[in-house]
Amino acid sequence: MKLRTLLLLSAVPVFLLAAGGCRKPAAPAKVDALRNAYDVEADANDATHMIPLSYQQAQGKRIFYADCVWCHADATPAGPSNRSNLTPVPPVLSDGAVLNAVNDDYMKSIITLGGSAMGKSAMMPPWGRTLSPEDVKAVIAYVRAVAQPPYQAPPLAGSPYTREGTASSPSK
Amino acid sequence: MAPEEMGKVSYRMRLLFAVCSVLFVATLAVSPVKDLLREWKHYKRGYLNLARSRPDTKRLIADFHPDLDQIWIPEMNVVDRCTSCHQGITQATLADASVPQPYRAHPPIPHRVKEWGCTPCHRGQGAATEVAEAHETTLAWEQPILPGRYLEGACGSCHRDARPETPKLNRGRQLLESHNCAGCHHLQDIQRTAMPGPDLTNVGTKVSRAWIYKWLKEPRTVLDDTGSVKVSGYLTQESPRMPQFRLNEKELTNLSAYLSSLRSHPLAPYKFSPAVLAQWSKRPDVVDQGELRFRQMFCSTCHSFAVTRAGETKMIGGEIGPELTKVASKVNPDWLVNWLRNPQAYLPHSKMPRYEWTDEDLYKVTRYIQDKLTDSDLLTSVPQLGAANKDEIDEGKKTFLEKGCSSCHAIEGMPPQKDFGPDLSALGSKNVSQLEFGKSTIPRNLISYIQAKVTDPSSVNQAARMPQYNFNAADLDAITTALLAMTGPPPTSALQKLTVPRPNPQFRPAGEFAQVYERYQCADCHKFNGFGGDLAPDLTYEGSRAQRQWMVSFLKSPQTLRPTLIFRMPQFNMTDREAAILADYLSMVMQSPDVRAGSLNAKDLTPAQAALGKQLYEVKYQCQSCHTIGSGGGYVGPNLNNAGNWLKPEWIAAWLANPQALVPGTIEPQRSMTPEEIKAITAYLMMQRQGGGKSAQKTAAVHAMSRGGNGVAGQ
Repeated sequence: MKLRTLLLLSAVPVFLLAAGGCRKPAAPAKVDALRNAYDVEADANDATHMIPLSYQQAQGKRIFYADCVWCHADATPAGPSNRSNLTPVPPVLSDGAVLNAVNDDYMKSIITLGGSAMGKSAMMPPWGRTLSPEDVKAVIAYVRAVAQPPYQAPPLAGSPYTREGTASSPSK
Repeated sequence: MAPEEMGKVSYRMRLLFAVCSVLFVATLAVSPVKDLLREWKHYKRGYLNLARSRPDTKRLIADFHPDLDQIWIPEMNVVDRCTSCHQGITQATLADASVPQPYRAHPPIPHRVKEWGCTPCHRGQGAATEVAEAHETTLAWEQPILPGRYLEGACGSCHRDARPETPKLNRGRQLLESHNCAGCHHLQDIQRTAMPGPDLTNVGTKVSRAWIYKWLKEPRTVLDDTGSVKVSGYLTQESPRMPQFRLNEKELTNLSAYLSSLRSHPLAPYKFSPAVLAQWSKRPDVVDQGELRFRQMFCSTCHSFAVTRAGETKMIGGEIGPELTKVASKVNPDWLVNWLRNPQAYLPHSKMPRYEWTDEDLYKVTRYIQDKLTDSDLLTSVPQLGAANKDEIDEGKKTFLEKGCSSCHAIEGMPPQKDFGPDLSALGSKNVSQLEFGKSTIPRNLISYIQAKVTDPSSVNQAARMPQYNFNAADLDAITTALLAMTGPPPTSALQKLTVPRPNPQFRPAGEFAQVYERYQCADCHKFNGFGGDLAPDLTYEGSRAQRQWMVSFLKSPQTLRPTLIFRMPQFNMTDREAAILADYLSMVMQSPDVRAGSLNAKDLTPAQAALGKQLYEVKYQCQSCHTIGSGGGYVGPNLNNAGNWLKPEWIAAWLANPQALVPGTIEPQRSMTPEEIKAITAYLMMQRQGGGKSAQKTAAVHAMSRGGNGVAGQ
């Protein structure tokens, strides 16, 4: 009798705890723009939506704001953007409609070798002697992270779920 | 007992023996079962299951073995068993977010995970084999994992220099330095500056007792209810330099009495020439004229003040000097005139340049400051204090020492208090048991402790002498990161070789140049050999870059070269001699070893080369996307319309070959130009001159040649 009472008594708080846990929905994570200033990026279309960045993407963001922002964004740390001075007008970096269509290899080539090497405007200078291959990779990772609409990575080449080579070189 | 019964064991005994044996076996079996159920073995099995479900199973389990994995780096005191559970950490195919933890691959970082292990960056307990013990603080294992937000703190334990990859850490170190934390605390790599706060030897001649009272009670910069920092009631990004001390009424009265009695050098009011006074004192537009002059002298490069434009009032201006919105209600008018004429006479360590004033300008500007930058209500809340009596002064001096004021503020004849606060050089490696939380209810961990201590020291320690700082959330995180990086000297000498110390550059010129350099405080904004401010261009190689004549005319009347930047160089009204001294020194001393002076002579460059250069500039390299020549072009690089009068040809050539070698981190990308192309572009740029009839003709000739030679070049 004693044991049963004890068991019942101990079951009550357990039940209460469980019920409390069920009723109380987890509070949505509060977005604090200031606090997250260093390792997130505001979504271009929705400023309250913050995109968390990995180390590599954060490095890409740093390089972007040092070298690319002057022509590939509508506002720069110094104020006005150079974008409107240029013809053809360079794409804004987060423009997924344009940049999601090109794969990482192409992106790497046009950053490293410049626009003229890829049959585009020579106004895009080659960065291969200024940025290291890791820097270029980081910038691409950042571009992919902030793309709007979001970027879908192609399945890995060589995986049995895709036909050999379909992901990276469709011409084959 | 009968002899035949001897040796026979009773049924009861047998039963007891059987039960004991079973119990014994069961007890022994606990150990292997417990071993089988170990947490890490569960994750090992989980990894095998995951690998089997993936297409590249073979590769994923190539180096799998069922025991504990361990990374051992004796020279760093690292024993990491993290990879026992985090099995897929180096498997590229497990990188996507659908892979469950702990098996997901590590995102790319500059260190090799297999070589360095996890705890050098993430902290936590490398040797632990249970999830809770490895990641959290438990009774026996005290170092928790560093939350992702403060991860740069771990970078700073080894990398003591300011690396571009760690912006948060750099900001935190910068804040610790600019807020003079080293005034009271011993910090790793941050030296105590000789004069952290203003010298108060003569403060009684500068401000009134009532103002001191008000300032000590509530320093100008306060945090409002929403967590925004406000100065004089206006929003600002600036964080306060003078923190808020918790002083009671009596302490305030005594301290203000003591400080207002400090007048060791009496003030000698400056006498304006009677002609200027007669001409200007009655004119109705003297304040407007003063404001105009105030703007022209670019006071806002260093000082901020509230400005009302289109009905909206906000703070504009720099952070090098103090905010000035209500300065006329603070300082004595005679002191102000003397200060503007020669700041270093009052404060030898002041960063304020000594402008060359005419009486007229000085009168106009002081009238403007007195009439406009004022607030008659500023001191209304201060009680009637009257003249300071001797008791109050003595008590005030005692309070001054008790509160540690002389850690930051010097007073003639009073030795500075060094190491007034606790040593923080190993704060980042402190365990929770070593921290005192008092009655506060914050979570028991180092990070909440640091943040509570910085935002409200009395919350963890009622008797804390530390004042209160009002940092915004981002800066608070940055400071926390920088403090977490301070983990004391490295544990072994081998690691000492790995740590990269912070450079402490100094630039101490001598001779005539030093006098002018100190008078105009060039290093407030410009860098010289790595020493100085960030506001303006680095002048380390200015001698190789600019022509001497251009420097002289720029110093006499500065004008902007970069259209996107806010122009900030004040017109100092310097004399011809001073401009010549600066230009001579810069051109002779501040030279780059990569640019050979005189290796390329502008006279040897031909118009034909310039014509080719024009084509290269406009067509092949499309420099106009960033630079302006004529009326068209981009805003990113400097305007090149006057390049021929500004730059040295050998600099242009060296720059085109490798810009980063001359200015590390410049955004001009390095191209692969041939020497002929470099010469051609240099020739073209050297033709770009403004304000000279002869060179304009030359430029016209080049334009004509390039148009005739090849149709592509025309715009």
